[in-house]
Amino acid sequence: MGADKGKKQKVGEVEEENNGAEQIDGELVLSIEKLQEIQDELEKINEEASEKVLEVEQKYNEIRKPVYDKRNDIIKSIPDFWLTAFFSHPALSELLTDEDQKIFKYLSSLEVEDFKDVKSGYSITFNFSPNPYFEDTKLTKTFTFLDEGTKITATSIKWKEGMGIPNGVAEQTKGNKRPHHAEESFFTWFNDTQHKEDIDEIHDEVAEIIKDDLWSNPLTYFNNEADEEDFEIDDDEDKASDGSEDDEEEEEEEEEGDGDE
Amino acid sequence: MGSDKGKKQKLGEVKEENNGTEHIDGELVLSVEKLQEIQDELEKINEEASEKVLEVEQKYNELRKPVYDKRNDVIKSIPDFWLTAFLSHPAFSELLTEEDQKIFRYLSSLEVEDSKDVKSGYTITFNFNPNPFFEDTKLTKTFTFLEEGTTKITATSIKWKAGMGISNTVAEEKKGNKRSHAEESFFTWFSDSQQKDDVDEIHDEIADLIKDDIWPNPLTYFFDEADEEDSDMDGGDEFWFFSAFILYVDIALRSSLYCSSDSKSLARKKGSDGSEDDDDQDDEDDDGDEDNN
Repeated sequence: MGADKGKKQKVGEVEEENNGAEQIDGELVLSIEKLQEIQDELEKINEEASEKVLEVEQKYNEIRKPVYDKRNDIIKSIPDFWLTAFFSHPALSELLTDEDQKIFKYLSSLEVEDFKDVKSGYSITFNFSPNPYFEDTKLTKTFTFLDEGTKITATSIKWKEGMGIPNGVAEQTKGNKRPHHAEESFFTWFNDTQHKEDIDEIHDEVAEIIKDDLWSNPLTYFNNEADEEDFEIDDDEDKASDGSEDDEEEEEEEEEGDGDE
Repeated sequence: MGSDKGKKQKLGEVKEENNGTEHIDGELVLSVEKLQEIQDELEKINEEASEKVLEVEQKYNELRKPVYDKRNDVIKSIPDFWLTAFLSHPAFSELLTEEDQKIFRYLSSLEVEDSKDVKSGYTITFNFNPNPFFEDTKLTKTFTFLEEGTTKITATSIKWKAGMGISNTVAEEKKGNKRSHAEESFFTWFSDSQQKDDVDEIHDEIADLIKDDIWPNPLTYFFDEADEEDSDMDGGDEFWFFSAFILYVDIALRSSLYCSSDSKSLARKKGSDGSEDDDDQDDEDDDGDEDNN
């Protein structure tokens, strides 16, 4: 029994040359096989768990939908709501150039919608009123979760003549004191698409912030801004440091209604 | 109607100075209030959803438990199973010093257990056989998720035996060894506990690795090690079993032969050729040469 050959014979005979423990090895193989079965069992349990969790998420997404629709109606009666909320968001506001700010004045609403089954993806849509910047009234970015990765598609913005040259314009208005302005236009976010699935873990932070943060509760941010400042964004005059004119909300709590005299 | 006063008066009068549009402002406030109600409604829905998800997780955790127990029993009959799995894990193996590897030979089992309600935290336990390194037979690290969003971490204070647990010194001595090894002992992981909640997002990567990677399916790594060495092999499961055994038994045997600090043997195993026992490289076709005795 050549040691080498012994080893090559069949699963179960290993390392004869070391100790000739074929018997143990046979049991070993059995144990490993059992172990594999158990892992398969665990995998099934995990898949079932994932499905059940997904069902819950799908169910509650359906429940949320009409509430979001209701919310959208109310927001329509609050001028510049999304604009304000966006600018009040500490992270998002940093992404807007001065030019972007002007464009955002035409923002009529924001929509974030999961695919029906939740797990396949979602889309973020910025609805704009007719404006001098681009032809589109809807700018959408869609994330589709595929097995091999995430596919990202977005509207190719139809900029009007002379528009959409973020860098050039941004520099011109450099004088603006407003702290929030980026170098690169926020709208380049619509160019960041991936058609290949090179990157499995595509991490679109802007998308995440919009979806998980701003969309869930924009009122938090809207209120923050109202506390700070006026609604004007790019008008220099009202950037009064005290911001004391309109932000009576802080004082409103006491309800010092003196009444109209 | 002083514009200032108007504004500060009561909820409902905003920005008079801009347009004198109290009428709209009143509506505005109403809209914002309605909006707040809707947000509250959404919050309730979200809480309910979270609870339901948690229930699912709790339920399946209960389902998994007996399976993990069953698995533990099977693993008991595979000596050095966890040792092999840990050493085979690409990231984890990098965390072990030479000394750590010696200590790991006494590792009898690993346990990862969620708190009953799942959301309160979890525990990772390394069970060791009596060994010359420390008195403890159980080293545990527990993560407790507190209400305020922070995590409390507690761990066993290892009772090292005389002259043991001086990882740095020992690691340096063995510098000559080719096997990738860490500078600092893995066991310092048990010292990394937070009693304060300084850091909200404590990111214990090792814990994540163990809980989310090794614990769910250690068998993958057990086989991976075999795969790596004989990368040209793509035979079926049979072959993997075979290679895994070669490797496994190799480790097991070195374990029993391991009376002195013969780290070279380990290095050899994972060494460039890996050719001592792993003649598998020649066995691609599985049929082997048969026994022509």
